[in-house]
Amino acid sequence: MNEELDSQLSAMFDDELPPQECELLARRLSRDELLKARWGRYAVVGAVIRAERGVRLNAPLAGLVNAALSAEPALGAHAVPSLAQQARLRWWQPLAGGAVAAGVAALSVLWLRAQAPLTVTPLAAQRLPATLSAAPGAVALKAVDAGAASYVTPPAPLVRPMLVPSTQLANYVVAHSMFSSPVTRRNLLSSFITSEQAAAEAEAPQVDVQSNAR
Amino acid sequence: MSADVSDLSLVRRVQRGDKGAFDALVLKYQHKLVKLVMRYVRNPAEAEDIAQEAFIKAYRALPQFRGDSAFYTWLYRIAINTAKNAVVSRDRSPIDYELDRNSHDESYEMQGRMKDAETPEGLVLTDEIRSTVNAAIDALPEDLRTAIVLRELEGLSYEEIAAAMDCPVGTVRSRIFRAREAIDRRLREVFEGGLGRAEELG
Repeated sequence: MNEELDSQLSAMFDDELPPQECELLARRLSRDELLKARWGRYAVVGAVIRAERGVRLNAPLAGLVNAALSAEPALGAHAVPSLAQQARLRWWQPLAGGAVAAGVAALSVLWLRAQAPLTVTPLAAQRLPATLSAAPGAVALKAVDAGAASYVTPPAPLVRPMLVPSTQLANYVVAHSMFSSPVTRRNLLSSFITSEQAAAEAEAPQVDVQSNAR
Repeated sequence: MSADVSDLSLVRRVQRGDKGAFDALVLKYQHKLVKLVMRYVRNPAEAEDIAQEAFIKAYRALPQFRGDSAFYTWLYRIAINTAKNAVVSRDRSPIDYELDRNSHDESYEMQGRMKDAETPEGLVLTDEIRSTVNAAIDALPEDLRTAIVLRELEGLSYEEIAAAMDCPVGTVRSRIFRAREAIDRRLREVFEGGLGRAEELG
């Protein structure tokens, strides 16, 4: 028998063989009956040195266990990565995760900075006049609004400081609709409109209150 | 060297469907496990049965073994639980209960003698193996004998043995290997020739 192989077997028995060599030798050990018999005799030598009294050194335990398990299916269902694969996965997984997170964060910051001058009229503000003109009391409301503006506190500017204008966000969502589900897309667009409407409505009561006061 | 690497290599192979790797684990730990179980049952044959059951349970539970603890620690716990359950179920048995009430220790010894009587050659072979190994160890050069005894009896790592013997780790590995080779040469004769005809190893 190969002396180097036997030396490795002895070291593996003592848990003193490098993991990569262990992987290879474990593969060979599981198939080579002579090597397995030698491995078993190493265990016997240890048992004798430790003076394990009462233990039958020739007990056919491994054969009995093997026979009992022969009818059982092999455990291959769970795909467990090898030790080397696990070691490789362990070191690059956190790094890759961190790199992806950092990349996304950097892109977000750059993109937001590119959108910096934000004085565009929001979506709801653009649509509000049309909505009002279509409504039944739209003419009266316009008249009240025009008169009230002369002496009450000036209304807040319709242009709100937004990081990203809703029109652009809506356009972005529509343009990339292939990457989102219809429900998600609808919810997103609804939330844009709702937020804009809420902003518009927040200013509308001011007008009503002023008109009522008159 | 990280502990339990070799066991883990074998365990991973079993988990991937290689039953042969489990044989190696059984061969490595069968004596330790039987000795452990004998703390709970005094009859060696019963201890072997319990150890066998523990190994089968371990095999079935191996998909859940993630390697968070050493394989032997995990196996040890399974064996202890199996032995405790065996003792409880035996104590519930009416026949054993009567025996236990009359003469607890004697019943174990009697059962042990009855089972051992079934394999007289096995007992002789165990003695033969023991005397062969001891004679081979006595015949070893002192540096080899010290290395193998420090490893097997004291459980020292190669690094610790190197420090104790004031030599490189590679030398320790070589000495232990050569010691095992010398003992194995004598032991193989017992298993393959002489009394080895009665029962095979493992």
